[in-house]
Amino acid sequence: MNSGPLLFLGLLATMACSWTGFVLAPQLQLGGLTQTNTVAVGDASPQTYPVAQPGLAHAGAEIYRANGCAACHTEMVRSLDLGSDLHRGWGIRRSLAEDYLFEQPVMLGSQRVGPDLANVGRLSDTNGLFVRLYDSRLITPGSVMPPYRFLFETRKIGLFPARDAIVLPFEDAAPPGYEIVPRPQARALAAYLLSLRQDGYLFEAPPPPQPKTNAVPTNAAPAKAVPAAAKPTVK
Amino acid sequence: MNADEPNKTADQSSPEPVAERWTVPIWLIVAFGLLFYWGQLFLAENAGGFSRDVYGPYHSYEAVNMANPQDPAARLRALGRQVFDKSCTVCHQPNGLGKEGTAPPLAGSEWVQAPGGDRIARIALNGLTGPISVKGQEWNLTMVPWRDNFTDDQIAAVLSYIRSQWGNKAGPIDPKVVAAARAEKHPGPETSDELLKIPVQ
Amino acid sequence: MSAIASRTPTISRNLPQAQQAGAGASCPVGMLALFAGAVVWLFIASLLGLLNSLKFHAPGFLAGEAYLSYGRVHAAQNAAFLYGFGVPAALGLGLWLLCRLGRAVLAGPAMVFIGAILWNIAVALGAAAILCGGSTGFDSFEMPAWCAPLLFLAYLFIGVCALLTFHQRQEGRLYPSQWFVVGSLFWFPWIFSTAVLVLLCVPARGVLQASIAWWYAHNLDTVFLGFAGLASAFYFIPKLLSRSLHSHYQAALAFWTLALFGSWGGMPDGAPLPSWIISLAVVGTVLTAVPILAVATNFYQTVRQDLGALDADPTLRFTYVGLIFWVIAGAQQIVGVLPSVSSITDFTWFGVAQKELFHYGFFALTVFGALYYIVPRLLGLENSAWHPRLLKLHFYLTFLGVLISYLSLLVAGVGQGILLANAANSFPDVMRRTMMPLRVSTVGDLFVVAGTVLFLLNFAGVLVQSCRQCCMARKERP
Repeated sequence: MNSGPLLFLGLLATMACSWTGFVLAPQLQLGGLTQTNTVAVGDASPQTYPVAQPGLAHAGAEIYRANGCAACHTEMVRSLDLGSDLHRGWGIRRSLAEDYLFEQPVMLGSQRVGPDLANVGRLSDTNGLFVRLYDSRLITPGSVMPPYRFLFETRKIGLFPARDAIVLPFEDAAPPGYEIVPRPQARALAAYLLSLRQDGYLFEAPPPPQPKTNAVPTNAAPAKAVPAAAKPTVK
Repeated sequence: MNADEPNKTADQSSPEPVAERWTVPIWLIVAFGLLFYWGQLFLAENAGGFSRDVYGPYHSYEAVNMANPQDPAARLRALGRQVFDKSCTVCHQPNGLGKEGTAPPLAGSEWVQAPGGDRIARIALNGLTGPISVKGQEWNLTMVPWRDNFTDDQIAAVLSYIRSQWGNKAGPIDPKVVAAARAEKHPGPETSDELLKIPVQ
Repeated sequence: MSAIASRTPTISRNLPQAQQAGAGASCPVGMLALFAGAVVWLFIASLLGLLNSLKFHAPGFLAGEAYLSYGRVHAAQNAAFLYGFGVPAALGLGLWLLCRLGRAVLAGPAMVFIGAILWNIAVALGAAAILCGGSTGFDSFEMPAWCAPLLFLAYLFIGVCALLTFHQRQEGRLYPSQWFVVGSLFWFPWIFSTAVLVLLCVPARGVLQASIAWWYAHNLDTVFLGFAGLASAFYFIPKLLSRSLHSHYQAALAFWTLALFGSWGGMPDGAPLPSWIISLAVVGTVLTAVPILAVATNFYQTVRQDLGALDADPTLRFTYVGLIFWVIAGAQQIVGVLPSVSSITDFTWFGVAQKELFHYGFFALTVFGALYYIVPRLLGLENSAWHPRLLKLHFYLTFLGVLISYLSLLVAGVGQGILLANAANSFPDVMRRTMMPLRVSTVGDLFVVAGTVLFLLNFAGVLVQSCRQCCMARKERP
């Protein structure tokens, strides 16, 4: 192996191998993903999935990115055989490629210093998120999440208290006459977090099978006629 | 910078390294081979046929398909396609356009897309003879009955199939409709006039 | 710049002065700039790491302003280590090895110098931007988009010089180190340009961004940094023991299999990707056992009869310890990717421990070892230019620091994983129970920072000596 050009060609070939397998092929397969329909369960009709984030959530994603939240939080739920994610209620199903269709950038994270956030929009409410961002230790003593007080403003209560002033536990509330109000970044970030939900079952992650009953099968008339063709409804 | 000064380092006594030419030990080659073989087995088991739709814990597209609630309408159409390909393409052609002197078209046919599907159920069961107007054209041929060849489910399936193919946009047909038509025991093939008397639902 | 004259065949292996110091005989500032910048950035990175580690003891520490919040410091630390220290150190090492092994003088030293300055400016601006909120959000690729053209330009300057130096080699036969250096030289622009294109310029749709970011990070570590460190190990260990490398063919096997299989990987097993991508990553990572075995046995056979001599020379010591850490980190990566293990260890401190061991235990230690040899020769000094006490302390502090940090994070990770696997354990509860080993890892980080400071002092001392010598030489001339 003494020839420079041959060395280069060999390296190019090995790089091409890896590039084809991990950049090109996934792009060919997943690059054209578009919205799909959820799997209808029971009487529910299929929904279009995913739905695009509202604008404020998009701004919130920028806050999430800028503050490196992905350093401690993941946004992906693993399947049943790979961990206790689903048992913890972190989602109704595992995460799939379609879930991130409208995310920009896609910040899946790689470490869980804090819990997974893929479905935090379903598990949380606005005030809860604000309090946790303000100082997570007020809700979870011993939490290592840093306080993000710079996303909030403590100000004197004006004529009327602000509608979105955060409600803190009594002993940690703002001094009398003052209120703690989220700044625009905090509101955007909360909007983003509330938009994080992976609802609906998809073809690749179907609903778990219905539990079998012990009822004795009868000779009753067969099930009703085939349902009409499902039409996706856009929310 | 200091090229003029004698370099007192040990470099002159310690030459640049060379590599000897010992061959790769056989156990390493064997280990490589075994690992590679394991890799192929792993891929065969877990790569899901390199399909876009197979995510863990499923191992194949069929497994994902089976785990999904089975959409009855889709299954019906799949069954209908089987029947159609076996028996109907001879005359009505695989593209549903029919053929002059052989069979009228099914694609875009108002008979096929009529709501309820009662009329075409009877045609399929009992056959058809005499003049009939399809898409503005007059046809005068004979279609054989199929009541003794297929069950209600199969006829409902093939009718559902043709109603959803080639741009046709009608819904599937319940096997009960076909059963009701069969129960009327119509003697001989249908005619267009008789069928037109049946109200469309 | 002045190119090399003729390609005269070398009869003996012992070279005249100019070509020995050769690498920097005409102008060592290019490589020195790369190395000096690299070590300063390593210090900054380890300091940022220590800061973040301290935040686990007191989450409110320096959390008042956004600039020093955990997430931003984490991103800046990554950027400082990989782009401030990792790439320049690899480039500097590569240039020096190409000069040495090819018996050529560095082509275009001024270009190298300009490239080094430009690169450091880009990283400094990028790190500052990250602290101000400009991180891209991708792990190991945090620097904002506008840094990329600067980095490309700087890399172009340095890379072209390296290629020219390689092309002008006098020695026809290539030694394994040269393959690794050339490999790393080409690998970086290919993966970096892919990442820039697909993540920043024309962002891929959806989850592909994450998969390509993971692919890039994995290649940057396993292939690029791996190649650079191994190049150094393949050179210094046989050279300083005055032995020949045991097997050329085993080295070739290691090289090609590391390039081929080391570049497949990086996807966590639970990622939201079709299972074929995950499976390919698993298979690739497991197959990196072949290069690990090939390198380990090759070196073992090389040093087997001289084990005692390994601790005699500081360069040897740093290098062989670094190599052992490389083997351990690689083995851990293989074990961690198997589905039954990854279901427990994914997303825990286990992965962080592996990365730390690879980055500090393998790459930083190997670079230190190389620098202890290279820097005096660039400056025309001897090995004795280094202060021996500082050197010894540096080794022990860094070695112990890495060991403490790695083991405590490993314990924390495995503990966290096992506890989390049981859904009955609430997440905050698990975090509380894994706090202790995490706190111990801060001690390790402190040791590493202290060791790096000692190296910087030593390095400064050597530079001062060189300046003094130069001044004296100037004075002596009429």
